[in-house]
Amino acid sequence: MYRHSKMVRHFVAATALALAGGVTSASAADSVVGAPFWQAAQAAEREDFIAEPMPAGVQVLPSELFGPVFADEGGRSLYIWPLRTLRNGDAGDRRNSGVSACDDTIYRETAGLMSPYPPGYLLPELDRRKSCSALWPALLAGDDATPVGKWTIASRSNGQKQWAYDGYPVYTSVLDRAPGDVYGGPRKYEELGRGGGGEVGAVRTPIGPKPAVPPELRVRVTSTGRMLTDDKGFVVYTSDADGPDVSNCTGSCSLTWRPILAPQLARGYGDWSVIERSPGIVQWAYRQQPLYLYVPDTGADVGGGKVNGSDVPGWRIAYTQRALPPPGEFVVSDVEIGQVLAAADGRTIYLYNCNDDAIDQQSCNHPEFTQVYRMAVCGAGDPDRCLKTFPYVIAPQGASSASRLWSVMSIDPQTGHRAAAGTPGALNVWAYLDRPVYVFGEDRPGEVNADAWGEFNGYRNGYKAFWLRDDFRSNAY
Amino acid sequence: MTAGRDPSAVLRKQKRYSIGCMVATGMLLSCGLAAAAPLKERSLLLADGTIAYVLTHRYWSLYETDSPKTECPRGFNDGPREEFKKLYEDGRQRSVTDAQLQWEGVQWHPQTHAFNLPFHQTLSKVSHGMNLDGKVGAQDFTSPDGEPGIDNQFYRVIGCIDSYRKGGSLYTFENNFLQAYPDIRMIIELSGVDSLVNDDEVTVTTYRGTDKLLGGATGRDYLPGGTQRIDGRWSKDYVFRMQGRIVDGVLITEPLDQFTMPWGLTAGVVGRQHLRNARLKLQLTEGAANGLLGGYMDIDTWARTFSRNLSTHHASYGRVSAPSVVAAMRRMADAYPDESGQNTAISAAVSLQMVQVYLVHPQPTNASLAAQR
Repeated sequence: MYRHSKMVRHFVAATALALAGGVTSASAADSVVGAPFWQAAQAAEREDFIAEPMPAGVQVLPSELFGPVFADEGGRSLYIWPLRTLRNGDAGDRRNSGVSACDDTIYRETAGLMSPYPPGYLLPELDRRKSCSALWPALLAGDDATPVGKWTIASRSNGQKQWAYDGYPVYTSVLDRAPGDVYGGPRKYEELGRGGGGEVGAVRTPIGPKPAVPPELRVRVTSTGRMLTDDKGFVVYTSDADGPDVSNCTGSCSLTWRPILAPQLARGYGDWSVIERSPGIVQWAYRQQPLYLYVPDTGADVGGGKVNGSDVPGWRIAYTQRALPPPGEFVVSDVEIGQVLAAADGRTIYLYNCNDDAIDQQSCNHPEFTQVYRMAVCGAGDPDRCLKTFPYVIAPQGASSASRLWSVMSIDPQTGHRAAAGTPGALNVWAYLDRPVYVFGEDRPGEVNADAWGEFNGYRNGYKAFWLRDDFRSNAY
Repeated sequence: MTAGRDPSAVLRKQKRYSIGCMVATGMLLSCGLAAAAPLKERSLLLADGTIAYVLTHRYWSLYETDSPKTECPRGFNDGPREEFKKLYEDGRQRSVTDAQLQWEGVQWHPQTHAFNLPFHQTLSKVSHGMNLDGKVGAQDFTSPDGEPGIDNQFYRVIGCIDSYRKGGSLYTFENNFLQAYPDIRMIIELSGVDSLVNDDEVTVTTYRGTDKLLGGATGRDYLPGGTQRIDGRWSKDYVFRMQGRIVDGVLITEPLDQFTMPWGLTAGVVGRQHLRNARLKLQLTEGAANGLLGGYMDIDTWARTFSRNLSTHHASYGRVSAPSVVAAMRRMADAYPDESGQNTAISAAVSLQMVQVYLVHPQPTNASLAAQR
């Protein structure tokens, strides 16, 4: 592997020091404690939502990362499987079709939906493969169920009735074990349509009520929380210098920090209030903090929206809620286009993504499922090579996390599955959203050499860095 | 001795401004006060002895005649789709593990490559590029204008891959993203410039910027005169300095032992190329800088940048099989052997097209200003 020579590194470092003078720069690796991406462990901020009619037994539960989500009577999060256009065809439930495509079939062969591979190859570990309906139990509706609000009734191939939301049949996930677990997939429903050709596959996504925000604003799903933006994608900020429902940003300040104006007739509700900046000019405030855009911010047109305003002392990004911090041994690391979560030694954390090419598009990114896809890209099928290329992040003895997004699990490194008690060589590793996290064996602190390692830029069968901030692309948002 | 190994070299040249203070602080404010001899043949663009250019187009430098049969009499190479068919579609039913995942395993771990598939290298004797080693060897090319000793073995590898030839998918694709995202564009700043025609010593510093290109009426005919703010926070790995000279309007830099260039090929993915013994040869005008970047390219870095940026699907567009290309690169590698004697780098040339821009360097914070007092 190529390495900079010592002398060149010295020169670059010296020049970089000079260059860095122009911004409020984080150090190369900062503690996660107090970092702007997470809310304090004792904070109780939760996103408010617009209540809507629901079938009996369906409820709304808070989740740490995805905001309010619908859940069944037992607290299991609810998901949909929207039809998605893949490279060679579609997969998923067709909206308003009234039927579910997730049935009892155990598929044996690939469907050829992901170019350039043709269909007809035997799927791995067929003796262990389950049907879609076994992995995604339907939210069944009683014979006397009637539509309510956005909730309608769909049919299953076995004649059962199933609840549908917004035209899509609704499911639970066998991966969720306790109320508030959302391990079945990311909440990307609002963002479907981004990503073009469906590189990630036709994934399931949790559903929830719409956030209670004014029509001028949006909630963006980020890797650590739910960020407020305006309707063009520019990030929303608050100022420490403001008082409750009082803006102290006037004059030249308001030229750099543009107040987010509300309609003249707007009235406050819930977490939202309007403050009068001058006669007839009113500004939105959230949780009593006036809201602004940072005029120098750019990048909304590439799907991200820069967060340079958060580099200005006293100014913060506005979130409806953020996740709790990761375990304290993790750090925030500067890399070549932004910031990532890193292990205690400064090496970038990677998450593994996988979806197979069967009609029912099963995910393969969880230790409960087949590991042959991961073993191929991390080690050409060799578990030992995998362990060198993408080592697990070992958790200290007795480690635990205040955030329920993080856990410690025991893994058999030779199989990649959870280890039974007493398995020789088992490793206690950190897991995020119930999946192990990794570092890249050749990375040094501050590097992301394995971001997008794997098929379809690391989204289909591969690794993506745990992006927290991306000033050039849209990896973090 | 190269400029990169001798930071003090920049101070040797006595001019009426201090290049050293400018490079060391990254601040225009702190420079230009130490007057010396008057400038010659100065234009307005060179008012402070500097001029900058931003990259708008970047191509692997391939010599092409009107008929590909001249360079590629055996035709173009297969891509993943064609190779996959040859390897795995023989009437037997195979598993994903024994086909697709075997293929992907080799792509990400080239050392496991054992495919026995044909690969066509270009048979051309002519190539763009530079004489990197100062020698004329049996494997060297001759340039189109007759210069012998051209080192560009990467052309031998990819000369018969449709994707990289004019109008090919990657020829176009790479530049679409380069033009869209500033983090994969290189900016060069020439300082200590008396004249864009002849100057026996100039300094070239590379940066990345944060701004869009200045498009013309079509949005794609990039114009000189735009502004680029230099990124001072994330781009430290891409700041390099070279010493050079301008001869009859052509900038020629001294070799830089190690050079890293941002090199993303798609949305959302960062990438880079590492070149050793790297140098620039650019025709300069007040509006543009066009020419070549030459050097010995690190093969592992090329392979990873390619595969991280392009899925097997995308690589199939223009028929680029990463396993076959990487294997060919290893066969034709011509420099920097590892401990086993296997060369790790391959001579290459990149065609660069740049337009003039005005740079805004990062402004000092109050704290850094105070520290200077």
